Amino acid sequence: MSRPSFRWRIALGASALAGGVLVGFALLSVWLIYQAKIERLDAQIEIALIRIGRLPPTDLPPAPEATLAGELGLNDNTAVALQLMDASGTVMYRSNSWPDTLRVPRPRHSPPERTDPRSLNPVLPRRRAAVILDTWRGRAGRWRVGTVNAPRGQGTIAVSLAAIRQEMALIRRIYLLTIPGGLLLVAGGAWRLSGRALKPIYRLGQSIDQVTARGLDQRVSTTDIDQEFEGLIQSFNAMLERLERSFHQASRFSGDAAHELKTPLAILQGELEQAIQQAEPGSPMQQTLNHLLEEVRRLSGIVRKLLLLSLADAGQMALRRDPVNLSALVEEQLEDVALLAPDLKVHGQVEPDLVVRGDRDLITQAIQNLLSNAIKYNQPQGWIRILARRQAQRLSLTIANASRALSDEERSHLFDRFYRGDPAHNRQTDGLGLGLSLAREIIRAHGGDLTLDDTAPEAVQFTFWLPL
Amino acid sequence: MNVLLVEDEAKIASFVQQGLQEQGFVVDSCGHGNEGYAMALDRDYDVVLLDIMVPGMDGLAILKALRQAGRNLPIILLTARNELDDRLQGLNLGADDYLAKPFYVEELIARIHAVVRRSLGERQNLLSVGPLRLDRITREVTCQNQQVELTTREFNLLEYLMRSPGRVLTRTQILEHVWGYDFNPGTNVVDVAIQRLRKKLDPLDAAGWIESVRGVGYRFYQPGAEG
Repeated sequence: MSRPSFRWRIALGASALAGGVLVGFALLSVWLIYQAKIERLDAQIEIALIRIGRLPPTDLPPAPEATLAGELGLNDNTAVALQLMDASGTVMYRSNSWPDTLRVPRPRHSPPERTDPRSLNPVLPRRRAAVILDTWRGRAGRWRVGTVNAPRGQGTIAVSLAAIRQEMALIRRIYLLTIPGGLLLVAGGAWRLSGRALKPIYRLGQSIDQVTARGLDQRVSTTDIDQEFEGLIQSFNAMLERLERSFHQASRFSGDAAHELKTPLAILQGELEQAIQQAEPGSPMQQTLNHLLEEVRRLSGIVRKLLLLSLADAGQMALRRDPVNLSALVEEQLEDVALLAPDLKVHGQVEPDLVVRGDRDLITQAIQNLLSNAIKYNQPQGWIRILARRQAQRLSLTIANASRALSDEERSHLFDRFYRGDPAHNRQTDGLGLGLSLAREIIRAHGGDLTLDDTAPEAVQFTFWLPL
Repeated sequence: MNVLLVEDEAKIASFVQQGLQEQGFVVDSCGHGNEGYAMALDRDYDVVLLDIMVPGMDGLAILKALRQAGRNLPIILLTARNELDDRLQGLNLGADDYLAKPFYVEELIARIHAVVRRSLGERQNLLSVGPLRLDRITREVTCQNQQVELTTREFNLLEYLMRSPGRVLTRTQILEHVWGYDFNPGTNVVDVAIQRLRKKLDPLDAAGWIESVRGVGYRFYQPGAEG
């Protein structure tokens, strides 16, 4: 089974890779932006705290939160809360916006370096000078809490992180929208690129198709081909050359052998024919000579087919191109079938006046081969169906017959030369070994094709088409 | 009738010559192309049989040279080579007919008669033996002025028998000629067809003209011949 499209896999793989990188990058940048924002806020809080720490508690402005917000560089809707405690732990001031549950440890006189604010979130413990910074999570949301402990008491500024979190959400949304778009872009690009990368392969495939159709003497051109594929094409051409050489050797051998056989066969046939004429009519001698002549003719038939096949293999089957009325030809053959095999049910459906251009003798031979097979390999009281019709610009001829059940193995060998459907090699199946193969070569030489159709196991059906 | 045979294979030349002589032809045979060409120019033959593969000038070259020399005598090509190619080329070069080896001498004789009649401008469509008259063009068969209705195959079969009266034609030979090279399904189609043909000729008392030759085939009775 072939794997899913290479191009698809490349596009998908590239998108997955790019997707991973993009998502990772987005996560990292979100985290870094958040950290930067917190850090900036921390610095502001620190400055504000140190300044507040220097103020006498009574000097607080009436609404210190607004001033504070301005100092911290925060916009108006960010909640800011302030709490001041004296050294004994008495709250001197607490903003209204102070989150209820936020508790700051009582001020201690120990050095700030050893302060251990366990009650606060230990995740971001950060100290600058005497300032302890941390993030607090409560029902009122997240707050950044900065505390300064001084011998006089403790000052705490808490800034709601809602605004920062909103900004982060916006950034995340932007990423959520842009990343899939980017992925699509990458996938599209990868699809196009892989298409371009595969183009030389497609072109190579096309050239190879043409090569095989036109004969083995063709070569794929290496001009106008990317460097990377040159080696592949050269190897392919080299392979083609080896193939051509051995193929021609085999083909020439059978062609030469067939030709060399023709002269002795001609002599045998001529002498036998003459001897038959001279023998006493009906005498045993004449009958024997007749048998000999029959064998010689059988041999001639095989030689003739071998020669035709070797010509077809070499792509040199010369054809006459005359108009041939295939309908009439098939009807004529059908008459013969009725005469030859009266016990077979013959069903013929032949459209009139189907005319192809081709070699009458060869086409006749192809049809005869198919029909004689249909008779020879039929079942007692069997059937033959023939259907000849026009299909678009083609002529299609189907010949089907009843048959003993054939295995897929046997079917796959039907076009093999000298293969016999019946392993018994009996004389009834004489000459079939080349017939089908030759029929197919003849049809192909006419620009058509002959194929074995899928049918029930108890039937055999061949279809060929020819250009009209 | 004078025939020139250019054929280098002595045994083939021998049986062709013998077969033709039995039919009353006068046959000159030679095995070299150049010599054959000289003979064809030199003497007046009714028909020339050219093997394509002969030493010296080959058959096609002789054919071409003869046509260029303005000789329009009938020429039949014989070949064992790539028959399709040669057939096309030969007919294009002006050969009158073409026979692939191996061939039957009977077939060769029939072809010679046909091309000679054609070259003489004779009507070659009529074939008449005994009471039977057969017209190759209208495809009509008459017997004592009565028409006989025959199918295509039956007509071809009768024509084949009638063109070589007195000659034994084997079943294989008949099958190949009337039905084609590869129609050999191993049945007695020839016998069945002969029976039908005889049945149609029987009311006209002509069935007896087709003789059976036991174990071999059939032959058409030759008027005036015995046995």
